[in-house]
Amino acid sequence: MNRTAAAGLALLLAFGAGAAAAQDVTKAYAAPVRVRYVVDDVGASAAFYTSKLGFKLDVQSGPYFAALSRGAFQLLLSPTKGPGGASQPMPNGDRPAPGGWTRIVLNVSDLQGEVDRLKKAGVHFRNDIVSGLGGKEILLDDPSGNPVELFQPG
Amino acid sequence: MTDLSEMVSVRYMVDDVEQAVDFYTKVLGFEVLTNFPPAFADVARGRLRLLLSGPLSSAGRPMPDGVKPGPGGWNRIHLIVDDIEAETARLRAAGAAFRNDILEGPGGKQVLIQDPSGNVVELFQPAQRPA
Repeated sequence: MNRTAAAGLALLLAFGAGAAAAQDVTKAYAAPVRVRYVVDDVGASAAFYTSKLGFKLDVQSGPYFAALSRGAFQLLLSPTKGPGGASQPMPNGDRPAPGGWTRIVLNVSDLQGEVDRLKKAGVHFRNDIVSGLGGKEILLDDPSGNPVELFQPG
Repeated sequence: MTDLSEMVSVRYMVDDVEQAVDFYTKVLGFEVLTNFPPAFADVARGRLRLLLSGPLSSAGRPMPDGVKPGPGGWNRIHLIVDDIEAETARLRAAGAAFRNDILEGPGGKQVLIQDPSGNVVELFQPAQRPA
């Protein structure tokens, strides 16, 4: 164990969760915000995020993994089956799958314009634009049925 | 201290906003940005702004086909840790629920924690690469 890690562990043992969390936060300011999506097809998903939503491909490991970036986001794509840790079943047999409602939120300045552009490009939307307290939002689906939120503040 | 322009957002649907704020602040070290239970709160960790939307928030409204958004699924925030065994032990002692045990892939070790609504959070320790 190196000195920094040893110091971190010592802090954790000495002060518990609070100190360890504070140290993590400091470090996290420089790092990208990572989110993992489970997808049916890594290649098709990577093509979708790069061609439709302005991500760039950082790294791809064939059909088993890809990492994409957009601003401070790094989106990790893992398939439902493969050698990767995120592709393994749970101890109770449950298998990772795409879908659900957890999503990255991409801020846009012209929501209607973006929706028009993406609909023309064949992108599927789950709903219509909804107005809330903080702004307007809409949900689109990636090729595996994972949601992505577009949000226009104000 | 927290500059929102430098941050990016991820939204989790939660059953109970107060319970979720408690979990993310006390167990995972997030700080509260705004807190309007029972509809909505947001919490931050580094450049991550995590939006916690309850059933009464605008994000909780049903879709046009009647389907209601809810917690769960497998997509998740991915938090890097230095020592996944120590973090896992700390979180288990704090009463956090896990979906699995630590497992190792080509990129590193990972484990999945569940928040009180059943949303998942990944802890990840990157593999040591040869120098």
